[in-house]
Amino acid sequence: MNYLASFGLQILVMVALAPLVNGIIKKVKAFSQKRKGPPLLQLYYDLWKLFKKDTVVSETTSWIFRITPYIVAGAVVLAALLVPVNLNLPSFHFAGDVILVIYLLGMARFFMVLSGLDSGSTFGGMGSSREVMISVLLEPSLLISMFTIGLIAGSTSVYSMMISSAGTGFLLFQPVYLLLFLAVFIILIAETSRIPVDDPATHLELTMVHEAMILEYSGKHLALMEWAACIKQLIFITLLANIFLPLESFLAFASPNSTLMSSLLLYLAKVIFIAVLVAVTEISTVKLRLFSVPNLAALSFILAFLGFFQYLLVGR
Amino acid sequence: MLTTNQIIFSVMLSLYTLSALCALVFYRKQRLANIVPNILSGTGALCGIWLSLTQLIGLQPEQVALIRWISSIPNVTVNLSLDKLSAFFLFILSVVNVGAALYSIGYLTHYYNRRNIGLFNFCFNIFNITMIGVITASHMIFFFIAWELMSLFSYFLVVFEADSSENQRAGTIYLIMTHLAAAFLMIAFILIHQFTNSWQIGGSLQDLPPLIKNLLFACFLIGFGTKAGIIPLHIWLPYAHPAAPSNVSALMSGVMIKIAIYGMIRFIMEALGSGFQWWGMVILIIGIITTVLGAAYSFMENNIKRLLAYCSIENIGIILTGFGAACWSYAANYPVLGALALLACLIHIFNHAIIKGILFFGAGAIYNATHTKDMESLGGLVKSMPFLGVFMLVASLAIAAIPPLNGFVGEWLIYQSLFASLEVAPLGLKVVIMLAVAGLAIGSALAAASFIKMFGISFLGLPRSTRAKEAKDPSFTIILSMGLFALLSLGVGIFPGVLVRLLDGVVYNLSGITISGELQGDSFLLYYPLTIGKNSLAPLAVLIGGCFITGMVFLAVKLLGGSTRQRKYITWDCGFTGLTSRMQYTATGFSKPLRIIFRIIYRPSRELKVEEGVSPYFHKAMKYVVTTQPVFEQFLYRPLVKGLVDFAKVVKMKVQTGSVHTYLVYIFVTILILFVYFAAS
Amino acid sequence: MIENYLHLLSITILITAFMLVANKRVNEYIKTFQLQSLLLAIIAGILGVHHVSQTGDWEILLVAVITVAVKVVYIPYLLRTTVRKVEYKVEKDFFWNIPISILICCGLVLLSYFTITNIEDISDRFVKIFLINSTAVVLIGLFFMISRKKAIGQIIGFLVIENGLFTAAILSTNGMPMIVELGIFFDLLTAVLIMGILVFRINESFESIDIDKLKNLRG
Repeated sequence: MNYLASFGLQILVMVALAPLVNGIIKKVKAFSQKRKGPPLLQLYYDLWKLFKKDTVVSETTSWIFRITPYIVAGAVVLAALLVPVNLNLPSFHFAGDVILVIYLLGMARFFMVLSGLDSGSTFGGMGSSREVMISVLLEPSLLISMFTIGLIAGSTSVYSMMISSAGTGFLLFQPVYLLLFLAVFIILIAETSRIPVDDPATHLELTMVHEAMILEYSGKHLALMEWAACIKQLIFITLLANIFLPLESFLAFASPNSTLMSSLLLYLAKVIFIAVLVAVTEISTVKLRLFSVPNLAALSFILAFLGFFQYLLVGR
Repeated sequence: MLTTNQIIFSVMLSLYTLSALCALVFYRKQRLANIVPNILSGTGALCGIWLSLTQLIGLQPEQVALIRWISSIPNVTVNLSLDKLSAFFLFILSVVNVGAALYSIGYLTHYYNRRNIGLFNFCFNIFNITMIGVITASHMIFFFIAWELMSLFSYFLVVFEADSSENQRAGTIYLIMTHLAAAFLMIAFILIHQFTNSWQIGGSLQDLPPLIKNLLFACFLIGFGTKAGIIPLHIWLPYAHPAAPSNVSALMSGVMIKIAIYGMIRFIMEALGSGFQWWGMVILIIGIITTVLGAAYSFMENNIKRLLAYCSIENIGIILTGFGAACWSYAANYPVLGALALLACLIHIFNHAIIKGILFFGAGAIYNATHTKDMESLGGLVKSMPFLGVFMLVASLAIAAIPPLNGFVGEWLIYQSLFASLEVAPLGLKVVIMLAVAGLAIGSALAAASFIKMFGISFLGLPRSTRAKEAKDPSFTIILSMGLFALLSLGVGIFPGVLVRLLDGVVYNLSGITISGELQGDSFLLYYPLTIGKNSLAPLAVLIGGCFITGMVFLAVKLLGGSTRQRKYITWDCGFTGLTSRMQYTATGFSKPLRIIFRIIYRPSRELKVEEGVSPYFHKAMKYVVTTQPVFEQFLYRPLVKGLVDFAKVVKMKVQTGSVHTYLVYIFVTILILFVYFAAS
Repeated sequence: MIENYLHLLSITILITAFMLVANKRVNEYIKTFQLQSLLLAIIAGILGVHHVSQTGDWEILLVAVITVAVKVVYIPYLLRTTVRKVEYKVEKDFFWNIPISILICCGLVLLSYFTITNIEDISDRFVKIFLINSTAVVLIGLFFMISRKKAIGQIIGFLVIENGLFTAAILSTNGMPMIVELGIFFDLLTAVLIMGILVFRINESFESIDIDKLKNLRG
C-alpha cells in the first residue's frame, strides 16, 4: 500500500508538474524580451483544449501512427517512475536502473520517429532524420556521465546515485560533478529541443526537428505527444536536480524534522532553478546550424569524458 | 550399450542425413523435395533441442561421449562429445533450425521451376550436419575437416542463385576469406600438436611457453575472427548475406558466425585459460571498433539484407566486447566478474540468433513479395503485409535493445559487466572500458537508427512502387516461423532468468563459478529481478508497469476528452495538390545528416548529372548519385591484392620461365639441398 | 580544501582551452583567451591571499594583479585593435572539423595523463592533477596553433601555451621567483606586439592573414 501510494505520488508530481516547467521557461524568456508573455499555466489550458478537440488522422498512416502517442506517453511516464523526485519515499528502483531509463526514452523516440515517417510527408521524414542524428551524437556522453556518477555511487541505479550524492554538501564545487553537470545540461538542452539545437517556438522547415516529427498530429494525439515531451524534459531536470544539487543536507540543517511537503517544495525550487538556467541559455544563444550540433555534442562528450577522467585522478 | 543421449543424437543425425538423402531422391519432384526434407530436418532440430536441454539442465554428467570411431588410419577418428558449451550452441542451432525448416517450406516455393530445390535442401542439411560436427568435435583434425566442409557447403548455398555475376563475386570473396581463416586455424592446430603431441580438444594448454601462447592467440583471433566478421576482416559478410537465400542467411548470421565465437571460447578461454591480460584488452578494443563501425555502415545501407549483414557485424562486436571483458577478468583473476561477462556474451549470442532469424526471414519474405531488396522502391508494406509488419517491428525493437524484449536484457548485462569491471580494472584499462561503454552506446543508438530506417522506409508511408503496393502477406508457415521467434524474443526478454539458469552450467564448466547466485532471478508471479550488486532489472515488472500506465493514459484520454470524432484526411501537402510517394523522404535522405557528419569514415561522393533540354532552366533529366566507399576494401584490401598480384607477376617472369631445363634444375637443386641437410644433421 | 577549489579552477582552464578549439570566430578566440586569463588570475589571487594570510608574502598577489592588467586587459585590447585594422573576413579558419579537433585534444589529455603519472617523484596527488591539466593546456595550445590558418590563431595559441606553463608553475611550485615572472610578462608583451606588427605586414603583402600564403615566399 505504502509502495502504491508513493508510486502514485511520484507519477502525479512528474505528470502534473511537467507542463509548468515550460510555462516557467516561457515566462523567463518573455521577461527578458520585456513582454508579458503567456500565463504560467498556458500549456495546461492548451492541453485541455487539445484533449477536447477532434483528431484528424492522415489517410496514408497505419496503426503505428495511432498507437504511437499512447506508447510514447506510456514509456515516458514509466521512465519518470524510475527517477525519484523524493528520496524519502519508497521507490521503484528495483525494476531498473539508469540504463533502463535511457532505453525507455529511446523506445519513446523510436516510435516517435517512426510516426514521423508514417505520414509520408517530407516534414516528418526530415524531422525524423534529424532527431535520429541528434540522438546518435548524444547517447555516448549521456552514458559516460551516468556511468561515472554510478561509479561514485557504486551502482547504476538512479536512486542509489541520488542517495550517494545527497549525503554530501553542495556538489557543484567538485570538479567531477561540475564537468558532468555541464555535460548532462547540454544533453538536456538537445534532448528537449531547446534553442541552440532546435527551436520549440518556430514552424520553419529549416529549423525544426521535434515539431516537424509531430506535425501530422492533432487533437488528443498531439496533446499526448506534447505532454510526453514535457515529462521527458522534467525527467532530465530531475536527474540534474537530485544528483547535482543535493540540498537535502541544508534542508536537514534548516528544519531537522523535515516533512514530505518541505522536501517536495525544495525539489520544486531546484526544478525552477534549472528551468531558469535553461531559459537563460535559450536567451543568450542563437540557434545553431544543424551541422554545428556535432560540435556541441563533441563538447558534451569531452566534458563527460574529462569528468570521468578527473574521477579517475581524484576518486571523487 | 548406448545411452539415451547417444540414441537421441544418432536419431538427430540420421534425421538430418535422411532429409539430405530425401532431397536427392525427390530430385525431380519439387514439392516433395521441399516439404519432406524440411519436415525431417525440423524433427531433427526438435531432437537437437531435447538433447541440448537435457544436457544444459544438468541431468547429465559434464561431458558425454556421443560417437567414437577410431579408424586404422592414424589420426582419422570421429570423436564427438557434448559438454555444456557445445550443448548451448547445439541448442541455438536447433532452435534456429526449427524456424528455418518451417520457413523454408513457404519460402522455397518461390524457387519452383527456377532452381533445383532438391539440391538446395541437400546442401542445406549437409551444412547443418557439418555445423553439428564442428560444435561436438573433440578431435582437432575432425574439427578442422568439419569446419572446412561447413565453409564449403555454406559457399554452395551462397552461390545458389549463381546467374548474377554479383552473387558469384560474393561467393568468391567469401571462399577466399574463409580459407584465409582456415589457414590460420591450421597453423594453430599444428602448433598445438607440436607442443602437446595430442589432437584432443579440451586439454589444457596453459603450460606452453608464453611466446607460443601468444602466437596461438593471434592465430585463433584471426582465424575465428574472420569467420565471425570482426572489422577489418569482415568484408565477405556484406556480400555473402545479400547473395544467399534468406533461410541460409538466417542460419549463417544466426549460427555460423556464432560458431566462430564458440571456437574462441573453446580455444582462447578454455584451452589457453584466457592467457594474459592484454588479450582481453585486444579483444575488447576489436569489439568496440567492430560495434561502432558495423552499426555505422549498417545505417548507410539501402539494401535490406546488406543492412542486416552489417548489423550482424555490429552484434558480433557487442558479443566480443563481453567476451573481451570476460577474458580480461579471468586473466586478472576476477572469476565472478569473468563469469558475469561470459554469461552476458552467451545470452547476447542467443538473442541475436533469434532476432536475426526473424529479420532475415522477413527480408526474404519481402523479397519474395516485391522482388526487390532495395528500400527505395518499398514503402507502405505494413498495410499490404500486416503480419509481417508486426513481426518485423518486434524484431526491430528487439535488436535496437528496446525493453522489454530480449535484446535489451543482453545489452543490459553487458553494460553491467563493463560497469563491474570499471570498478576493479587498472587505470589504463578503465579508460578503454569507458570507451567501450561509449562505443556500445553509440552502436546501439546507430542500430536503432538503422532499424528505424529499415522499418520506417520500407514498411511505412506510401508505397514507392506498384509491387510494394500489391504485395501480399507470405504463406502461413513463414508467418508461423516468424511468430514463434517473436514470441521467444518476448519470452526471453521478460523471463531472462530461465536463460540464466540454463547457462549457469555452461559458465560453471568454464570458470568453476556459478553465477545464478549473483543474479537472483527468482520467478514468482510478479517480478523477475536480475540483480547484480545493487543494480536490478525486473523485466516483468517493467512490462506490467508499462501496460498499466499505457492503459491508464488511454483511459485518462478517454475521460478527459469525452467523445470526439476521428477524421481521415490527406497528409498536409503545403497546399499543393496531392502528395505522391516520390515526395517522401528516401532512405538515402534519411541517413544523410550522419553521412555528412561522419564523412571521415564513409567518404561519400556525390555526382549530379544534368541532361539539358532546350533551355538551361528546364532540364530534361537529372541524375543524382550518392555513394559511400567501402573504406577497408579501398585502403586495405585493394593495395594488398595489388601487391600480391604484382609479386605473382614477378614470380611468373623470373621463376616460372617456362623452360623445362630450368624446372629440372630446380628439382635437382632441391634434392641436393635435402641431401646436404641430412648429411649435416 | 583550497586544493579542491584550485582543482576546479584548473579544470575550468582546461575547459576554456577546449572551448577555444571549438570556436570558429576570431573575436571568440580573444574572448575565450580573456576568460582563461581571468581564471588564471583568480588562481593567482586565491594563492596570493592564502600566502598573505600564511606568511605575509605579497609576491603572488602582485603577480595576480599583473596578470589581470596584462593578460585580461591589455593583450586582448591589443589583439582586438589588430583584428579591427586587418580587414576581417569570415572564412573557414581550420584544417580539421571541430569534433575531430576536440577528440584529438581529448587524446592529448590522455597522453599527458599517462606521461605525468609515469613521473614517480611527484608524490602529492593534487600536484599531479595540476600538472596533468596544465600540460594538457600547453599541448592543446600547440595543437591550436597548428590547426588554425590565420595568424591571429597562432598568436592566441602561443598565449595559451604560456598560460598553461604559468598555471603549471604557479600551482605546483607556488610561483616562480618574482623577477622571472616579470621577465616572462615583458617577453609576452613584446612577442604579442611584434606578432601584431607581423600580422599587418602579412596582411599588406598578401591581402589576407592566412599563413598558408607564406608558402609563396619559398623562392
